[in-house]
Amino acid sequence: MTYMLADIELSKPFEPIQLSPGQDGIGLVARWRDRLIGFEMIALASGSTMTVEQLKTLADERFARRILVARLEEDLTHRRSEQERTLPNLSIVICTKDRAQRLSRLLTSLDRVRRQSAFSSVEIVVVDNASVDASTRDAVAGFEDVRYVFEPKAGLDFARNAALHVASGDLIAYLDDDVVVDRNWLGGLAKACSGNPDAGGFTGLVLPYRLDTDAQVFFERRGGFGRGFARREFHNARFDNPLHPVGSGVLGAGCNMAFDRTLLIALGGFDEALDTGAPLPGGGDLDIFYRVLRAGRPMIYEPEYAVYHEHRETIPQLRRQYWTWGLGMMAFLVKSYRTDDEMRARHRAMVRWWFLDQLKSLVRAAGRFRGQELRFAMAELWGGICGLAGEYDRSTARSQAIREKNP
Amino acid sequence: MSADGFKVRHVDLSTAHTSPERGAALSVFWWKDLPLGTQASLCEELPYSHPRLRQLASEFAAAQLEARSSELGAPLRATYEGWPKPELSLATAAGIENPVKSLDSVACSSSLPGDEISVVICTRNRGSALSDCLRSVSAQRSPPGEIIVVDNSSDGNARGLCAEFSRVRYVHEPRPGLSVARNAGIRASRLTIVAFTDDDVEVHPGWTAEVARAFADRNIEAFTGLVLPARLDTAAQRFFQFTLGGFGTTFVPLIFDRRFFEETRPSGAHVWKIGAGANMAFRRSVFERIGMFDERLGAGAAGCSEDSEIWYRLLATGGACLYEPRAVVFHHHRSDWPGLKRQIRAYMKGHVAALLVQYDNFGDRGNIVRICKQLPAYFLRTFVKSLLQGPPGRLGILAAEVQGWVAGLQYALRLGWRKRRIPVRMVANANEETV
Repeated sequence: MTYMLADIELSKPFEPIQLSPGQDGIGLVARWRDRLIGFEMIALASGSTMTVEQLKTLADERFARRILVARLEEDLTHRRSEQERTLPNLSIVICTKDRAQRLSRLLTSLDRVRRQSAFSSVEIVVVDNASVDASTRDAVAGFEDVRYVFEPKAGLDFARNAALHVASGDLIAYLDDDVVVDRNWLGGLAKACSGNPDAGGFTGLVLPYRLDTDAQVFFERRGGFGRGFARREFHNARFDNPLHPVGSGVLGAGCNMAFDRTLLIALGGFDEALDTGAPLPGGGDLDIFYRVLRAGRPMIYEPEYAVYHEHRETIPQLRRQYWTWGLGMMAFLVKSYRTDDEMRARHRAMVRWWFLDQLKSLVRAAGRFRGQELRFAMAELWGGICGLAGEYDRSTARSQAIREKNP
Repeated sequence: MSADGFKVRHVDLSTAHTSPERGAALSVFWWKDLPLGTQASLCEELPYSHPRLRQLASEFAAAQLEARSSELGAPLRATYEGWPKPELSLATAAGIENPVKSLDSVACSSSLPGDEISVVICTRNRGSALSDCLRSVSAQRSPPGEIIVVDNSSDGNARGLCAEFSRVRYVHEPRPGLSVARNAGIRASRLTIVAFTDDDVEVHPGWTAEVARAFADRNIEAFTGLVLPARLDTAAQRFFQFTLGGFGTTFVPLIFDRRFFEETRPSGAHVWKIGAGANMAFRRSVFERIGMFDERLGAGAAGCSEDSEIWYRLLATGGACLYEPRAVVFHHHRSDWPGLKRQIRAYMKGHVAALLVQYDNFGDRGNIVRICKQLPAYFLRTFVKSLLQGPPGRLGILAAEVQGWVAGLQYALRLGWRKRRIPVRMVANANEETV
């Protein structure tokens, strides 16, 4: 199954979108005067055309209200002349390992946006996380004005923490190497940052980079990393969710996040026992979101601060990803349960809720006779069980071993 | 949820750039006199930041513009859930010039006189609440043509209080029952529009003006408005508002008409979504057409639902009701837990009795489906959910609901209840009556 990714500008006259044979749908990225307004997955007959009429109907139903909201917001902003705030210095950090090609792709997209930035200064730091050969170093050398740092301790959070100390910016924006930034990515971050000077961190929208395989289409249809097109604000507690902030997955994803660097240093950085490469590739983002909120600093989700993520290509890779989600979630919960006494009741309730929710989706998938969905749900549930059964301790031991190997 | 000091706070988004207060609260957002929406927040989430207020303002305002600008085809017709069906198109969203100015013009409040409005307040042994209510009705921007208090207590204990308000006419109706009292109020009133509110309510200063505007603008027979909580100090009040949904949270005008009736008919026509008896009004002519309140229903008799049963008769005979949230009243929810339980039990009892009465009047099987299938399914679902997730206290309320359900069946099936039916005349041409 293959979907075509198409961009549509809603303020201009529409043109029909022609699918080539073998394409079974469209992933439609909609903008209004260049501002991201919505994303829709539309299943169509292979090789058919999406007509102007169909596009109009879709726009009326899905995008019209958001355009009106966006216009009101702009109008209200103009009404009140705000004094220009000088934005802080920004460090953009990319942690990568043996993926020179994808890194070049990301750096190219960053090259386009960094010129027109509102920040006082922008530096780009690439942390090479124990790559086996020199290709990463060579890729970085091809770009102007990009710092290269080598981190011998393999593990994403080792790399993130290394960056924390070599970067010079007040604000530190992390990107994974499997993303490409949107043309308004930096503008979106600047907007979030100037409106919320007291925020501890920011997360952004994650859209698909391509939808060429069954796994990629399936993942995106199942929700992907999508967190919607409305700005959201997160605090230490929430009226409508008694478990918050324990379910910090709603805040965003680790592939596109930014923090106040001083705060992160004060919090002791990322937990290196989470995100230790292949055995436990997840949970570090949940943990840091949670700790920022617990430190009393709000976090902002800003949809204009958007990246395109290259989803897992094959079904086994995707199944593994769901497994790591379960694993990372439970490792994070076990860790928080031990370190944050005050919130223990919420951690316990979250574990109960999570397993109940997984069981529900398992039953749903079984009821619909969807074999693949069932296997994904089982993978995530199994990941959760493994995570609860001592994964955090195993991972702590692993990270300790890595630290000792690289004094 | 922090137990102490939960407030109801009013924020005018047309002027407010920050709301400095920090205590946990339900914030009610306005654009001048136009209510926009509510948001409950804990003290950790407060004060609202400037971008947050702007975001709330633009989201609420978009809904208002969609529902109220005449170029967008307002007002909206209610869907199955009792919510608006979006009808905005890309061209209109893109075409509005200066949307904030459009909002300003939509928000301008009514200054129509209330001369044609009889306000009827039924009361029973609630002296202090009634005096607050009468004070708010007496302080209207457009004073109503007459104010009638129907005292439903046996000894007429509200007479002295009513004498303190010069414009209030006092009527004593010793036969118990809210429907009986409401009917006595209708008979005592003389003007073309009869507006009801309750003795545990305080009305907004612009209430009568907005009721007058709704009847002047549109050829409607019936009207309901927004009921907001006056206070949320106690756990019982917050439970009623947040867990049980209060008296509705829709902030855009809606038309409940034949289509809504037909859509929801298979499961008993969801007329209870139309509004609340604490804020409703009728053209006098409607009572001649479909009769007055059914005296078997309402507080003091079956428990409640005398309001929704009259809306059922209205819709079933081709009429329509406009819900217009501009007309705002503030209701004092029961503050103690036993009081809340009694109220919920009475609601369910009255609801079941009303469904049976409606079945008896019109023969719609949907009413029976609601009693025998939907309500038991709802009890079961709520039981499982509250066992697994809470919130605390939900099971006790559920027990009250089940008791009410049983009591409703018992009440309505008592011998001789059918003898007191109300004759109903169908509208000659249903289409003309629809707005």
